[in-house]
Amino acid sequence: MRSLIKFFSSLKLTVWLLTASMLLVFFGTLDQVHFGIWQTQKLYFESFFVIWSYPEQWGFYEQLFWLRLPLPGGYLLGGLLLINLVAAHLTRFQLSFKKCGLFLIHFGLILLIVSELLTDLLAHESQMAVSEGQRSNYSENFRDNELVLINRQADTQDTVHAISSEALSIQEAIAIPETELTIRCLQYFPNSSLIQTKEGGSASPADKGLAAKMRVHIQPKAISYSDDEVNTVSAYVEVAAAGTILGTWLVSNVIGDRFPPQLVNWQDQEWELALRFQRSYYPFEFELIDFKHDKYPGTEIPFNFSSEVQVHHQKPNLNQRALIYMNHPLRYAGLTFYQASFADEDTTSIFQVVRNPGWLLPYISVLLMGLGMCLQFGLHFYKFLRKRRGNPSAAQA
Amino acid sequence: MHMSHSPHRIFLGLCFVALLALTACDQAAVNSYTIPKEPAMAQSKPVVEPNPMRPLPGMAEQAAAAGELQYTVPAGWRQLPTSGIRKATLQVEDAELSVLVFPGDVGGELANINRWREQIGLAAVEESGLSTISRELTISQHPARYVDLIGPEKSIKGAILPFHGRTWFFKLIGPSDSVQANEAGLLEFLDSVQLPDSAH
Repeated sequence: MRSLIKFFSSLKLTVWLLTASMLLVFFGTLDQVHFGIWQTQKLYFESFFVIWSYPEQWGFYEQLFWLRLPLPGGYLLGGLLLINLVAAHLTRFQLSFKKCGLFLIHFGLILLIVSELLTDLLAHESQMAVSEGQRSNYSENFRDNELVLINRQADTQDTVHAISSEALSIQEAIAIPETELTIRCLQYFPNSSLIQTKEGGSASPADKGLAAKMRVHIQPKAISYSDDEVNTVSAYVEVAAAGTILGTWLVSNVIGDRFPPQLVNWQDQEWELALRFQRSYYPFEFELIDFKHDKYPGTEIPFNFSSEVQVHHQKPNLNQRALIYMNHPLRYAGLTFYQASFADEDTTSIFQVVRNPGWLLPYISVLLMGLGMCLQFGLHFYKFLRKRRGNPSAAQA
Repeated sequence: MHMSHSPHRIFLGLCFVALLALTACDQAAVNSYTIPKEPAMAQSKPVVEPNPMRPLPGMAEQAAAAGELQYTVPAGWRQLPTSGIRKATLQVEDAELSVLVFPGDVGGELANINRWREQIGLAAVEESGLSTISRELTISQHPARYVDLIGPEKSIKGAILPFHGRTWFFKLIGPSDSVQANEAGLLEFLDSVQLPDSAH
């Protein structure tokens, strides 16, 4: 036990971990060219291990295709650094006035590592599109998809059952709460195109809904990691109720609102079945009063995008009016709304909606570290001055 | 041995908390919730595209910078509202004509013609097969390619026009008989198109 603690609190470990972090950032940056920022972040920093392989696009690939380099991932390095720092404090450092600067710096560092982990686990980004004069109460995340079953039979509200695409790709039967339904994903395609089946061509496994009616099937495609492309996620899903198989449907995120809904019926109940971008619903509605896209006179060069919005909350005392423009987001109900884009001939505004409960922590930790450094260097400087006053020749030497 | 405040205990405790935190991330497979009643789904349009080009954030700015085009609406055709990267939408019988603009060459002529073929259930062609399904045409004083694709049920006739760093797509899609019957109208439309040209 003692040797374990000695190992975890050693400065040697710190140096090794920092070196490994530098390597991770270096190889992650190399791979970002091929995988884009989102995938690289997942592979390198939101993981425990990662294996870098010699990129196909580089020269001498025929000779070096076997080259692999295993690296510790961001979670492992961050976790070990945190343990290392805490263990060092518990065993080696003694809290005293002389060292309080060092303690503040280290505490700020610990807070920074923890805040990074919190951001990773809790932060959520999505987009909300609202047209002028319209309202929206949800935002969509174009990088994640969900399979939804929606019951619209009640008078005042709709019931949504959402299954994340990660859970779907496991291909196990999933029971839908409060219903007798179970859903099993037969085949899942992270990127695909929907193609009309030719006469005598390979038939699609779907026997219900749009695919059966329009004779379309799914053709797999390589996943795109490009930052400005959206993958067409598609799947064949089998729905069963109380042990009876009701049929197989083709669902895809390209089958949007302009198609008639695909319906699942069981006894006197009816559900809409769809695969769509992951939605987050809010207890308020966002109304776009006016979107402005100002250009320099006589040119097409924009100098201002701004959205005037009115928030209608279920509790009227929380209603708010705001102007959102570049560098002036609206912070509301734990969310931040940034002006991100626009569409439909300047009549639709698109907001980036960010939920990050730990957004203040990095500011606090940087403040603590700054304060710690001032204290640490200030104390040293004071000590040096005092020494010089006591023994001027020693200080000059 | 009295160890209640020793660093070992605290260290072990911290490790235990870290372990707990790691295992607590497991989420339920289904997330069920209610929402205020949503309006019924929009009525489906007469023409559906299985593989449309999706407008993405950022594209709208590009499209806005491309400027507006001028054209004459052929007799008997209806003009529909435009939206986003769509610069014009016209309808005749069950067929729909869309005019879209994208930055760059959007993968090249062959890839785009094959994307159109895919939309109406036709197999992809090689570069060498292009001459039988397309010909050259001039739109707004610039060379374009006129494409003629007849599918089993639906057909596409249209043109692809590379224009100063952007690509304009003019596409008439719909049931084969509607598309065939309105080719003259389409050519008349393409002939009338004038693009904003600041490059000369």
